[in-house]
Amino acid sequence: MADAIITGIPVATGIAIGKAYFVNRNHMAHLPRQTVAAALVPDEIVRLHEAFATVESELTVIREQVPEELKSHGSLIDTHLMMLKDPKLSKTAEGYITSLGLNAAWALEKAVADQEAAFDAIHDQYIRERMQDVRVVADRVQTKLMGVETDLTAISGRAIIMAHDLTPADTVELQVDKIMAFATVRGGKTSHTGIMARSLAIPALVGVDKLEDSVRDGDLVIIDGLAGKIIVNPTESELEDYNERAAKFETYSRKIKRQCHLPAETFDGSRVQVLSNIELVEEVAAVLDNGGEGVGLYRTEYAYLNRTELPTEEELTEKYIDLASIMYPRKVVFRTLDLGSDKFIASFGELNEANPAMGLRAIRFCLKNPQLFKTQLRAILRASAYGNVSMMFPMISGVKEVRQAKAWLAQAKAELRREGLDYDPNMPVGTMIELPAAVMIADFLAHEVDFFSIGTNDLIQYSIGVDRTNRHVSYLYQPLHPATLRAIKLVVDAAHQAGIEVSLCGEVASDPFCVPILLGMGIDSISMTPQAIPGIKRIIRQINMHDCRILLKDVLECRTVSRINNLVMDNIFKHFPEEVSFFSSLLENDELPS
Amino acid sequence: MTDESTTTDSATGDFISRQVIVASENGLHARPAGRLAQEAQSFESAITLVHQDQEADAKSILDILTLAAEPGHVLELRATGADAEEALTRLEQLFKNKFEG
Repeated sequence: MADAIITGIPVATGIAIGKAYFVNRNHMAHLPRQTVAAALVPDEIVRLHEAFATVESELTVIREQVPEELKSHGSLIDTHLMMLKDPKLSKTAEGYITSLGLNAAWALEKAVADQEAAFDAIHDQYIRERMQDVRVVADRVQTKLMGVETDLTAISGRAIIMAHDLTPADTVELQVDKIMAFATVRGGKTSHTGIMARSLAIPALVGVDKLEDSVRDGDLVIIDGLAGKIIVNPTESELEDYNERAAKFETYSRKIKRQCHLPAETFDGSRVQVLSNIELVEEVAAVLDNGGEGVGLYRTEYAYLNRTELPTEEELTEKYIDLASIMYPRKVVFRTLDLGSDKFIASFGELNEANPAMGLRAIRFCLKNPQLFKTQLRAILRASAYGNVSMMFPMISGVKEVRQAKAWLAQAKAELRREGLDYDPNMPVGTMIELPAAVMIADFLAHEVDFFSIGTNDLIQYSIGVDRTNRHVSYLYQPLHPATLRAIKLVVDAAHQAGIEVSLCGEVASDPFCVPILLGMGIDSISMTPQAIPGIKRIIRQINMHDCRILLKDVLECRTVSRINNLVMDNIFKHFPEEVSFFSSLLENDELPS
Repeated sequence: MTDESTTTDSATGDFISRQVIVASENGLHARPAGRLAQEAQSFESAITLVHQDQEADAKSILDILTLAAEPGHVLELRATGADAEEALTRLEQLFKNKFEG
């Protein structure tokens, strides 16, 4: 048996085997505080400037390696470089060496403290937060001064980076070619670690609670980013097994990646659009690399989080135009703000709701705060002049909400027209279908909008009445519950009856076992995380629409989830034996009582 | 906000100065401040940026940040040295281009 097997949330798939390398950022605790003899002061000053120079050349090299797509990382390092070259820090530190006879690392610490005092006096939160950048820069110089190699760049050989948390500043400085995987205690699916790992195409697990207790520096670990497991000091046979699986997965991934730019067309000639869900504009590179045919869901919350002031219309417009024009002529579907509930805007404060999932969130929140809503609508409209832009509203429960939202949209359009600002007057407007209420009145809603997008994650939770993060009931969260399947079917039929298109975004869309059923329903497009696209396209290209329809018909007659799962499994074993070995983890939950 | 900026050359003491308006969307945040400092560093002259009664070394990104200058704020650029005139012309241009050029 291995020493330990611990679990986490996989945020980037793949298998990696390597040595655990803990990123320890607590070296500040033992910063040496000494005084130097007067005679040695000039030497200490030279040491200080040499350390600055070394860090500058290191950062310059790192800067050059940042890929073009990761623009924001690049400009972050530019800022760090400017701070490093800023005479203020080094001169102030030099002053402390000369006047107080402090050692260089301590003198720099005092210079940093001076800067912190200056920033602290400023009202602007953004400026105060720049202290983090000063800290990162000073840390690097101090590490040099203390003769310790800088953590992240010192990695040799095949390393699996483990940390309590990784900040954007940490990840930009990683020597990416040496890192095989990430595992962190903190972070969720959309954390920076996940986004970074996916863009590097290496596995990553977050939310690994027992990481720091179970793994020591230098342990041999297997990161299974398919099943969400870390195997610490595996046995010979486990190692052998995983080596084989890793090699097979590698071959498989390469094969499907090569084919990812082919259209998602079934054997018998049915086309379905394969789109991508993104959260950051930077992710478009991954969308295009993986053969995404557009952005089916752009989550727009990120620009509003982790800050105290609301983003301005100009800021949003610039970002949205970037996205729309890079993707053009492919489409980009903007989902208007889905805030409230678990994510809230600092300037509005926490709502203190007893039941936030059923509280003031998403479209409800926007309609209550029309100024905030209209700013976003205007920005999306302005971006529509630059690309193939659509927009949809989240959490719609009835016709009235759609009409209210569209009234604000009409007003935003009228304003832009008056101001002489361009927008696409025919921009398609859709609604998300995530609430059982919306499912039941899909036929009415279909007359109000140009398209539907089914958000299955929420729809499953609301229709089964289960919080899937609650481990006491999460076994009830069943994507293939007969109620879910009927709901999706009802919505697809209502949409097609009214002559509008219907898309599906949610984890179901990236589950290779569920996709044949969705195709059978006649869904027009599916949207998923970029990295899932090659695998899903491959599945689609290897099935017949005819078989999907038969499977759907059989599935709709099943009364229990376990029977449905059995049918789906049979189908997959028959058509996709290769996939089964990699994705069997997806089915593990289904073994539970239903 | 347009990128209008007023220019007033005045020789006060031994420095020359010009007024500029912050036109960049977020004021003098890290990126514009970095661009400004970078450009300023390429000149020999001593250059300061004055905002209300606060002075900052235009070659220091940290100093510029502490001004916390917001969009629409009027600042004064002062330079003294051999290439003072040239420096102010360049930096003024940078303000006008919202630090893009």
